Amino acid sequence: MMLHYLLRRLFLLAFVFVALTIFAFSLNYLFPGDVLSNFTGLRYISPEQETALRRILGLDQSYLQQYIYFVRRILDGQWALSFSSQQNVLTEILLVMPATLELASYALLLSMLLGIPLGILAAVRKDKWLDKLISALALVGYSLPVFWWALLLIMLFSLTLGLLPTSGRLSLLYEIDHVTGFMLVDILLSDVSYQQAALKDAIRHLLLPAVVLATYPTTVMIRFTRDSMVEVLEQNYIKTARAKGLTRLQVLFTHGLRNALLPVTRQIGLQFSALITLAMITEVIFSWPGIGRWLIDSIYQRNFPAIQGGVLAVSCLVIVVNMLTEILHTLFNPLARRF
Amino acid sequence: MKKIRLYYEEHNKGPMKLLWQHFAPQHFAFFGLIALLVLVSLALITPVLTPHDPYLQNSQLLLLAPSWQESGLVSYPLGTDDLGRDLMSRLMLGTSYTFGLAILAVLGSLLIGLILGCLSGMSKGVKSSIFNHLLDLALTIPSLLLAIVIVAVLGPGLINTIWAIMLALLPQFVHGIRNAIMQQLKLDYVTAYRLDGANNRQLLFSVILPNIWEQLVLMGTMALSTAVLDIAALGFLGIGAQSPTPEWGSMIADSLDAIYLAPWTVALPGLLIFTTVLAINLVGDGLRVAMKKRREN
Amino acid sequence: MNYYPHLLTLLCGSLWLSGCDTAPQSTAVQGLVYCAEGSPESFNPQLVTSGTTIDAISQHLYDRLLDIDPDTGNLLPALASSWHVSPDGLSYRFRLKNNVEFHHTGYFQPSRPFTAEDVVFTFERVLSVANPFHHAAAEYPYFDSVDWRQLVKRVTAVSEHEVEFVLTRPDSSFLSTLATDFAAILSAEYAAQLQQQGHLEQLDQLPVGTGPFYFRHYQKDVMIRYYRHPNYWRQQVQLPQLLIDIVPDNTKRLAKLLTKECDVAPIPRLAELSLLSKKPDFVVDAQTSMNVGYWAFNTQKPPFNQVKVRQALAYAINKQNILQAVYFGQAQVADSLLPPTSWAYQQNRQIQGYDPAKARQLLAEAGYSQGFQMDIWAMPVQRLYNPNALKMAELMQADLAQVGIKSKIVSYEWNTFRRKLRLGEHDSVLIGWSADSADPDNFLRPLLSCAAAVSGSNRANWCDPLYDDLLAKAVLTTDITVRRGFYQAAQQYQSEQMPLVPIAHSKRFQVHNSKVSGIKINPYGGISFANAGKVL
Repeated sequence: MMLHYLLRRLFLLAFVFVALTIFAFSLNYLFPGDVLSNFTGLRYISPEQETALRRILGLDQSYLQQYIYFVRRILDGQWALSFSSQQNVLTEILLVMPATLELASYALLLSMLLGIPLGILAAVRKDKWLDKLISALALVGYSLPVFWWALLLIMLFSLTLGLLPTSGRLSLLYEIDHVTGFMLVDILLSDVSYQQAALKDAIRHLLLPAVVLATYPTTVMIRFTRDSMVEVLEQNYIKTARAKGLTRLQVLFTHGLRNALLPVTRQIGLQFSALITLAMITEVIFSWPGIGRWLIDSIYQRNFPAIQGGVLAVSCLVIVVNMLTEILHTLFNPLARRF
Repeated sequence: MKKIRLYYEEHNKGPMKLLWQHFAPQHFAFFGLIALLVLVSLALITPVLTPHDPYLQNSQLLLLAPSWQESGLVSYPLGTDDLGRDLMSRLMLGTSYTFGLAILAVLGSLLIGLILGCLSGMSKGVKSSIFNHLLDLALTIPSLLLAIVIVAVLGPGLINTIWAIMLALLPQFVHGIRNAIMQQLKLDYVTAYRLDGANNRQLLFSVILPNIWEQLVLMGTMALSTAVLDIAALGFLGIGAQSPTPEWGSMIADSLDAIYLAPWTVALPGLLIFTTVLAINLVGDGLRVAMKKRREN
Repeated sequence: MNYYPHLLTLLCGSLWLSGCDTAPQSTAVQGLVYCAEGSPESFNPQLVTSGTTIDAISQHLYDRLLDIDPDTGNLLPALASSWHVSPDGLSYRFRLKNNVEFHHTGYFQPSRPFTAEDVVFTFERVLSVANPFHHAAAEYPYFDSVDWRQLVKRVTAVSEHEVEFVLTRPDSSFLSTLATDFAAILSAEYAAQLQQQGHLEQLDQLPVGTGPFYFRHYQKDVMIRYYRHPNYWRQQVQLPQLLIDIVPDNTKRLAKLLTKECDVAPIPRLAELSLLSKKPDFVVDAQTSMNVGYWAFNTQKPPFNQVKVRQALAYAINKQNILQAVYFGQAQVADSLLPPTSWAYQQNRQIQGYDPAKARQLLAEAGYSQGFQMDIWAMPVQRLYNPNALKMAELMQADLAQVGIKSKIVSYEWNTFRRKLRLGEHDSVLIGWSADSADPDNFLRPLLSCAAAVSGSNRANWCDPLYDDLLAKAVLTTDITVRRGFYQAAQQYQSEQMPLVPIAHSKRFQVHNSKVSGIKINPYGGISFANAGKVL
């Protein structure tokens, strides 16, 4: 049964990937400029190069054939060159992606640590002043434009109070070798004399962007957990458990939580795409060297191969995350397994 | 004379009246609705109403403080920006851009989503499955990325980003409408209509659409807040509205240079965006609660 | 990996943050952080003219044969200890310094100090098409714009420490060219090594020079790291490392300065100068600088090929307004390319003032009484000759609308912007030039000569043999009075033809943390940190 389900999901996954690559392929033709330049990323193409490239790309053959060559190149890792750096776009993406993943995961962690308990609290104290306060705060957080919020926090914490830095991942004075791309991991892996100071500095740099990015998911988490929890708490089996004599807390943890948190897992996956959008804006404001800032720089530079590569990479990431959360959700939720 | 109740009458109010009955007592939602109405009217009539020309540069009055500060002037109630343009007029005109265009984008997306959702909801089998999964693809591309792609293809500008936002909102609408239709199709009165001999089209227009339009309004409100935030974000990043268009997001980006000298030029547009989105969300939440209460009664 | 200590550290770390001090101070790691406004296009100054790139690489990595005295503008010995010019002005001999060491880096270890061979290689690379490294670069914009390949017949090593240049004609600006940042001296030994390895392009990407710092690491659009050159020939370098933080956003640069994440920031926003000079932690340096911000028309595109149209546009612009709104009064209105501090400057009697009526009249005479549409390309970055091109463009947009011309403002990321300009895609552009030497030829030739139109620094794409002729005659003689006469005729001609509208000459500013010492504004050329030190 489970196998059947997994096979079906994989088939759908393949379908979505195919559609994604078709979209990315068509971008080569849709973007302004020379098609050859868009495909390869080369800025200056000499006439001899041109004939050779036309053959390799299959530009004189049918679109289907060109598409097949394109997919083969993608799977080989031979992505186009970036217009500005003339380096393989895939290498650049792999360099910057960990920074975004690090930021997003810490933000998600923060949002779960804050959002879920607050949501549960609001559900348990439904319609009392605590619930109203939490819900109001959640609504305010949900309505804040992320860039304005980031600016306010920077003005307060960095410029007025001087507690936190305004941008970047680490003070430039510390030289840490790039191993995994995750700053905290890399610092712990490096054996430099200033390891403690660098770690402290990296956390200080991480704090403000993570808080800004976590704002929206926290509010979603709060609202969702609250709604889900309220629904569960009204169920009969909860009343039965209370009638049997279990305390509030016991009921909450044994019966309430697991059932309430299920839809929350699903939500994280669905919200991930929105989270990436917010991460991109956050990265621009905090000059965080992740894929979001890289993509926005690419549009300023009219770096079409980079945009194309970025679309592929980010969409793949979102698809994978969606898939993982769905699988997790199905694992934990017997009801969903009947597909 | 007191009205004599001679026989038992059912006073069933219409669904709209019931909704209003449950909506109005929610104070915050009510205020949100009033705020929204003010904004909509601003968006429509601002071009006639602004105290000064929003595009007129006055080099004598650069970065004038708001009127409540000592150095401010009453004729420029909220001060001026770094090119001497009246901030209040620009903020008012910005309503038409940020808010007005968001409404247009949502309406456009809703219409297209309705067509696609109906097509998908009424069809069955492989066709609908494929369609669904194509939509999944659209959902996986973050809205900002979609906007970047469209700007790369068409060039920067406000109109192009409206297309991007419409495309980004579309999957959610189609998804929601499709689910709503499928829910409706399972209900008894639909079967009754079919037994009576209604074909798909008659079913759609007479039965299904009138029953889902309230859900559509709810979806529309949620989408509206996303649309406003997206337009502002794109304007802020410089790939949406271009100067001198007084869209709120791009006004913040333009005024960032002067943030230390004139922080109000950054704070005020942001405050307006926040207020607008808050009002929309308050109304959305209020509607949702009101619908739930109406269902329970 | 046991992750409990990891988790614990994370938790502890976030807990004791509230008691932290303001700036990330550390007794273990020292260095100076300079906030730059853009990424460098290359690590070899020969290949660029952009001030952003020059600031980021030139004075840190390289030295030149000659230097310029910042106060007088006279030439000083650098890698050349003395020089001799032949009476006919065609032969220049330089005696070179001894015991100058090149950088020891991870990719190159020099086996010998600096000799004449290095000078010969450096300039042969630019001059000779046969040199294997010549085509490793796309172009040499400055040298092409002053027509160097036509000028220099050959460069030879007379002995181990003596070098000779033979010219095809006398040129009184030749020595000044050797003193510009573009004439940085490269290592011939390194070039030989690269040639053997088959990596010719690395000459410009992984640099080797004789300067106070050597290259350690570069992350595009993020930062550059330089380490101190322990055996720098001039003096002991105080800073153990130099970091260039790439921050294109103006507000962020100032924010970083205020939070002490950056120690030095160039070209601060003029509006905040008053704010900064009040704070005791910061020092604002000011200097009259030789620079010009101008508005160039692409004279290859109609209607800008008509003199009347260009003149009309010049009359349409309110320069005083711009001075107030963009320069905050810290600049002078320009009526010529040359700033008033140049010895060849003469007050222009035919100054185009602000006269929209005259503008409309001229437009009508040229056949454009209905006006037309054009675009104004504006730089996205602050440059010292133009602190806010976008704002300037907005002001000009409003001015032009008054005379019936509709304009659109176009901007891209800085390096992309320059690349597109080079392709001539613009109608008009707001850009400028900052002096590399005290010689007026440095202003007039790279900006408006025919050779410069080919090489790209002539943004107006204007090629007029009359103008070139005047400039050529000016450098044939060393007599200052005669030269001045020619330059004044050239300036007069330029303001009659108006291929570009000079807008302002700006003062140059720099802000640094009061803990930093030893930085002076260099009026000619890139920023230097050779003498910089930082108190902890």
